Amino acid sequence: MSDNEQLMELYTQLLVLRHFDEFCYDLKMKDLIMNGFHPYSGQEAVAVGVCSLLREDDVVFSTHRPQGHSIAKGSSTRAVFCEMLGRRGGVSQGIGGPMQWIDKPHNFFCGSIVGSGLPIAAGVALAFKRQARDSVAVCFFGDGASNTGAFHEGMNLAAIWKLPALYICENNQYGEAMPVQEFVPVSRISQRATSYGLNGVSVDGMDVEAVLNATADALEQLRAGQGPVFIEMVTYRFRGHYGGDPEHTYRSREEIAVWRNRDPLTLARTRLLARGYSEETLDDLEASVQAEIEGDMEWALEQPFPTVEQATDHVMIPLGQD
Amino acid sequence: MARMSYRDAIRETTAEELRRDDSVYLIGEDVGRWGNLFGASAGLLEEFGPERICDSPISEAAMTGCAIGSALYGMRPIAEIMYIDFITIAMDQMINHGVKYHQLSNGQVRVPVVFRTQGGVGMRNSSQHSQSLENWFVNVPGLIVVMPSTPADLCGLLRSAVRSDNPVLLIEHKSLYFTRGEVPEGDYTIPFGVADIKRAGEDVTIIATSWMVLQALAAARTLADEGISCEVIDPRTLWPLDKQALIDSVKRTKHCVVVTEAPAEGGWSGEAASVVHEHCFAELRKPVRRVCGMRTGIPYGSDLEKAVVPDASWIGDAVRDVLA
Ligand SMILES: Cc1ncc(C[n+]2csc(CCOP(=O)(O)OP(=O)(O)O)c2C)c(N)n1
Ligand SMILES: [Mg+2]
Repeated sequence: MSDNEQLMELYTQLLVLRHFDEFCYDLKMKDLIMNGFHPYSGQEAVAVGVCSLLREDDVVFSTHRPQGHSIAKGSSTRAVFCEMLGRRGGVSQGIGGPMQWIDKPHNFFCGSIVGSGLPIAAGVALAFKRQARDSVAVCFFGDGASNTGAFHEGMNLAAIWKLPALYICENNQYGEAMPVQEFVPVSRISQRATSYGLNGVSVDGMDVEAVLNATADALEQLRAGQGPVFIEMVTYRFRGHYGGDPEHTYRSREEIAVWRNRDPLTLARTRLLARGYSEETLDDLEASVQAEIEGDMEWALEQPFPTVEQATDHVMIPLGQD
Repeated sequence: MARMSYRDAIRETTAEELRRDDSVYLIGEDVGRWGNLFGASAGLLEEFGPERICDSPISEAAMTGCAIGSALYGMRPIAEIMYIDFITIAMDQMINHGVKYHQLSNGQVRVPVVFRTQGGVGMRNSSQHSQSLENWFVNVPGLIVVMPSTPADLCGLLRSAVRSDNPVLLIEHKSLYFTRGEVPEGDYTIPFGVADIKRAGEDVTIIATSWMVLQALAAARTLADEGISCEVIDPRTLWPLDKQALIDSVKRTKHCVVVTEAPAEGGWSGEAASVVHEHCFAELRKPVRRVCGMRTGIPYGSDLEKAVVPDASWIGDAVRDVLA
């Protein structure tokens, strides 16, 4: 159990991620952000719970749905807004877009090829192990990714070489329009980890404190050099696969309502109320977070687009300087 | 100068780079205990230990991704893909990730990884173990593609590849491993994008890569007896391409033949021919001729694999044809 102050911090981060996402959703609906934007609303407890325990020198690999992980790892909301909008000032200077960017100062990477992060995270972990550093490599991916070859190859490699890699599967119940039970033959994705000799666990990914506790245990094992950890976070995405997808063709409004009842923000808020925070304090907090993020969005909307000349910057290191 | 095989040049250069820089390591299937299929890393496990000579599971994607990830954080891996045919499984990691990170990080991230592999015919390994797939990679912005044809070039280019902060694909040839040549001693490096004239001549320029350089040289010897003087140029790096060397040569000889083991269609041979046409149109007496592998899977049946890729006689015929 975290203390009050810690829960308040986690809640604030949850609010940042939610409002950031909802503003992006509006921008997507206005065609200012493209379909490559994949909403994170509903899954925030996973990014916040995991990343709040990471150090700056720990490395995160994420997916086509990276904004929550990136901000929780330390990326500025301004820079991520700019990247979403394809503007200069973005984490990848408006070249990467809504699902692929690198924020080197915060050791954050993401990419839009499903499942591809697991081997690369193993490689980062291998470097840390060779250098006798206690940093860890964290890799987020979805339920759908657990059917790729890279998932299995990467986890096997990390397991046989006991690499400090933390594998976080966000089971949000769908891979695009496909429900997970139709493409995964086991009831819990964490079962897949056991075939690599890992002690896979499944955690309530809507409960930020549950995520936090599971991550704390994992980090202890990882930093002690005891090999990789696999955690399935059971969660749900509240919005479509991409902003504005025809979601009601593949899932019912009733199903969405059931999960929305378990909104990670409401859950955390209820706990804060029970611990003595007033409705007014929490409302004020939310209003100020929202206003700040709106300000960041407005700032981002003022930034220039990259030029054609900049489109070919850094394709490779010039010969002679490499 | 020391005379050695292409295979030994790989082993010696790798060992020297491993000794020079602690961050260099070799990862691949059976690079350790077996010392590579051809012996190109024999003995290295004993000298450097399993952390630096890493026997990988049969997981080309994981091995390649692992190399890339470690390169992001201070290591300088040499990742060996046993046969280029298996690189299909590693392609996502290489092309979508390893080669993209420098640009996506706005130049802040470097990916100093060498992908070493081997292709081509020579062991009757048939169609899933004998391909020439270099053309795919020349089309990838940001990737350096190297095909050394001699022990000396292998040594100088492998050393440059290990020291480069750009990702480099170095493609060896299974028919070259036991060819021999002089290798300069000391810290010998060859810059990327510099072609080498393997034989100077006046009547025709033959541009050839990898094992085809040896075929072109054989053809040039035969043609010399007929009074035809061939210049044989090996670009050594398919990309970056030393265009100027090709142009300078063809402006003198006014005739050009391009030779690759890979099929012609959609390939680097067309790129080389275009460079020559674009820059030497006025000087050329005949259109550039291409001599390339047949558009087929490499067949198994007795010596049939040699029948579907160019040899000295194909090249000789093409040269006589452009000079006719
Ligand atoms: C290798 C690959 N195949 C297909 C796609 C198209 N695609 C993008 S997201 C997605 C679903 C991924 O599902 P999951 O891993 O559960 O992640 P989620 O979208 O639910 O976060 C698919 C199929 C892709 N980007 N990469
Ligand atoms: Mg999913």
